[in-house]
Amino acid sequence: MVQQHSLTGVLLDDVALTLEELARACDVEPDWVVRHVHAGVLGSQDVVSVQVTSWRFRSMDLQRARRLLSVERDFDANEDLAGLVVDMADEIRRLRARMHVLGVKLP
Amino acid sequence: MEFKDYYKILGVERTATADEIKKAYRKLVRQYHPDVSKHENATEKTKEINEAYDVLGDVEKRAAYDELGRGQRPGQEFRPPPDWGSQFDFGSGGDANANDFFSDLFAHVGRRGRTGAGGMGGGAFRMRGEDIHAAISIDLRDAYQGAARTISLRVPEQDPAGHMVTRDKTLSVTIPKGVTPGQQLRLGGQGHPGIGGGPAGDLYLEVQFNADPRYRIEGTQVYENVPVTPWEAALGASISVPTPSGAVEVTVPPGSQSGRKLRLKGRGIPSAQPGDLYLILDVVLPPASSERARELYQAMARDLAFNPRERIGA
Repeated sequence: MVQQHSLTGVLLDDVALTLEELARACDVEPDWVVRHVHAGVLGSQDVVSVQVTSWRFRSMDLQRARRLLSVERDFDANEDLAGLVVDMADEIRRLRARMHVLGVKLP
Repeated sequence: MEFKDYYKILGVERTATADEIKKAYRKLVRQYHPDVSKHENATEKTKEINEAYDVLGDVEKRAAYDELGRGQRPGQEFRPPPDWGSQFDFGSGGDANANDFFSDLFAHVGRRGRTGAGGMGGGAFRMRGEDIHAAISIDLRDAYQGAARTISLRVPEQDPAGHMVTRDKTLSVTIPKGVTPGQQLRLGGQGHPGIGGGPAGDLYLEVQFNADPRYRIEGTQVYENVPVTPWEAALGASISVPTPSGAVEVTVPPGSQSGRKLRLKGRGIPSAQPGDLYLILDVVLPPASSERARELYQAMARDLAFNPRERIGA
């Protein structure tokens, strides 16, 4: 049976996620998020100075958290190593996007 | 549904140990990771590998898969017994994937979550449904104008008799104007259903852009190549250029060369902080295909005394 619903999505950059919501979206405990923020691999580092209950996360944080989690689970990596892998992958993506913008084709 | 041989996908024997499965998985994940792989189907392959490992990497799921898969061949039509799986309790992967053999297979089996929102207290088990993550592809013009997209998901749902069944759910999603690649849209209550009256999870859609033959996108900035004639580039001109937000009149400064970038402020993706549109000039020579064209080129060669290789010492 197919049902059709019409819905309007809310951009996470307009309505940010709380710590609990980010943890739930990644299927992890909130402690996992806290540990990664304190390790400096997740979220804006401005949040560290404010109350945990006031932390807010946006689209890129959710995407990054899921990628960190994937590296940690796949390779038994700790948060520092996972952070390094994701940073390097981001740099590759950024450079590829730049090359594409400049019309440079990879061999 | 078609039976998928997860052992074959990971390249291991049915008797492989957990450690051998993990090793094989890690090797394949590294080999086909979309960020590093040159394989043209790297993304699809990674998805398949992840699906296989999600099952074979979990003792309970593997046991259930082995029990079901006895005597099955890859690609063979397959239908699990109606009440199959009642003795198993699985966490779900949380990803919505219409082609996921495993999600179909285990849809009717109870799911276990990370935490019980409401938990076991008070006697009745009540748990919030898990969130689902999926991607939605849009065209650049959708980001300029906003759009409605229809997506289909296969989600588990409790039928009136209390059994979990899969249901095809079609959602018409409104994409707000100004979205950029990688942004996430949240659709509250459209994730997995809750258990014991718990609320449903949310659906997260990551916005991806379809490749565009004319425009290139970097965040909110948009780039477009604009062909110009040699005289427009040399003498300057006012030209009409089609852009994602409609045709605009653009002034080409005199003395322009190929590669010159003209910035049209605020004409990139109309986000909260709108991006810019960059027009990259591409000087195109008319072909010397007629006698008159050849005469004009010869006149230029004679009268302009132009040496483009002067800087390299020629």
